[in-house]
Amino acid sequence: MVDALRGDRTRRPRNDTTVSAGLRATLDDGLYDLIGATQLTTPVVVRPSSLHLRPKTSEFSTSSHGRLRGVLISQILRLMSVGVVIDHAFDDAVLAWRSEVDTSELLEQLDRLDDDERARLATDLGAHRVALARALGTIPAGWLPRSGVRASQRLAGGSVVLRDVVDLMIGSTTSDTASVALFDVTTSPLGEAAERTMRFHALVQTLRTSTMPLRTCTFSTATGELWMRDVDYELLSRSVDDVLEAVASLWPPT
Amino acid sequence: MATNVTTLHHRRLTSEQLHDLVHSAPGGPVQLTDDHRKSLTSRFRGVASPGHRRLDAWSVEQAGRGASTFRWSPATSRRVLGNGALRRMKGQRSLSIIDAVRDELADQLLRAASGYARGGSLAYWLASSPHPVLGLVTAEAVTWATQLHEIAQALPLPCTVATADAYYDVATARTTLRARRDLLLTQGDERIVVRVRAGTPGKSAGPGLRADLTIETLAHHDGIAPARFIGLWPEAGVCLSVDGTMDDLRSGARALVRTAVAQQRQRTLLAA
Repeated sequence: MVDALRGDRTRRPRNDTTVSAGLRATLDDGLYDLIGATQLTTPVVVRPSSLHLRPKTSEFSTSSHGRLRGVLISQILRLMSVGVVIDHAFDDAVLAWRSEVDTSELLEQLDRLDDDERARLATDLGAHRVALARALGTIPAGWLPRSGVRASQRLAGGSVVLRDVVDLMIGSTTSDTASVALFDVTTSPLGEAAERTMRFHALVQTLRTSTMPLRTCTFSTATGELWMRDVDYELLSRSVDDVLEAVASLWPPT
Repeated sequence: MATNVTTLHHRRLTSEQLHDLVHSAPGGPVQLTDDHRKSLTSRFRGVASPGHRRLDAWSVEQAGRGASTFRWSPATSRRVLGNGALRRMKGQRSLSIIDAVRDELADQLLRAASGYARGGSLAYWLASSPHPVLGLVTAEAVTWATQLHEIAQALPLPCTVATADAYYDVATARTTLRARRDLLLTQGDERIVVRVRAGTPGKSAGPGLRADLTIETLAHHDGIAPARFIGLWPEAGVCLSVDGTMDDLRSGARALVRTAVAQQRQRTLLAA
């Protein structure tokens, strides 16, 4: 899977550093049409989850069990990205998660689980970990893997903020050719929401670094499916539309 | 009448912009004299403090409001380990970032095992952390180090990773000032300091940067200001910078004294 992400080195396009300014301008124009010159004290925050607010969204993926599983598999991916051997998927992921989070609603939900529910979650997570380990393989250190990469972009004078966390990123932003690949892992089957998330990662990364990434992909540990797209202007424009649609659905803020 | 004009450049964080910021840094270094230091000391001595006072850019940006209790975590340990790993890589070119971070981690654990770590230190915390937490610490440090490595590659001049933050003890005022610094660029007699922060810059990021500039200058053995102090926020893709001018240095010093005053007022309010 990692080989597929990087692709053929000789076929990579040159780094495109020109597209981000146009995308930012399109976003700002679109946001102005939506919210006008209003300056909000509390900004409208758009996250990948904000793009999924649709009736068809699987209820299971947004249940507390599904959300906990998603958070824990992300921790496992982070550990795997630096070659950590995972003995007990559930215990290791929970220990890692607790070390970085003081309190959260999801952590409280985890603490409230009874023994049966914890055992079910642990078994479930173990299966997802195996699927991820088989697909991911070993990531060469020279590909500069970094995990849990955060990004935040202020738009419309700070009234709208795009927030994103990419599970795994490989490749350099300073090379002459596009080489950054964005990798997202989900424990749900892939659907329209996953596609929107892939596009959102590519958009926010382009705005953040002013450099267009090479690829964006999502892997489902539930089905073993990998969706991968080369990043181009069309994909980024569609993400701009997704963001504007999400802001329209969140506006006016309550 | 003379007017005081401070500087603040706001750019997107791209290779071209960084090149421009470095190459357009003003020449003619500014120097702080003993009189400047004495004047700052007298200002700080005029602000009462029940204990030892520690000020940095963060306290300036927060207007002296007390920070939450510090605790070691993968996020708070990443800079120490990540910067250490990059310094190690300068000496051993063949070392990968992951291996360099692992070596840094091993050094910390060795320090704890040999009894050189005091309670509350990073080495002490790492030694008491379970295996998965050490894994996450490694992942965070690798991410930080890779980010800093990419920034260093985007800079137009060779740079070194700072061995430590800049500290300045204000004599007889029970005050320690700390300036964060990550990369140092030197060209002839001039130097440029780069500081990397997580998150996004707030409205008070400029005063925070000026406070760092002033502390960095005070900590210099000859009191010479860097030509430019650049703050990078890679998460936001933004960089801000201030020039090493006397107006900026004065503004930074004023911000630090104001923060000390704000802290004193908050203590007075709490006591009342």
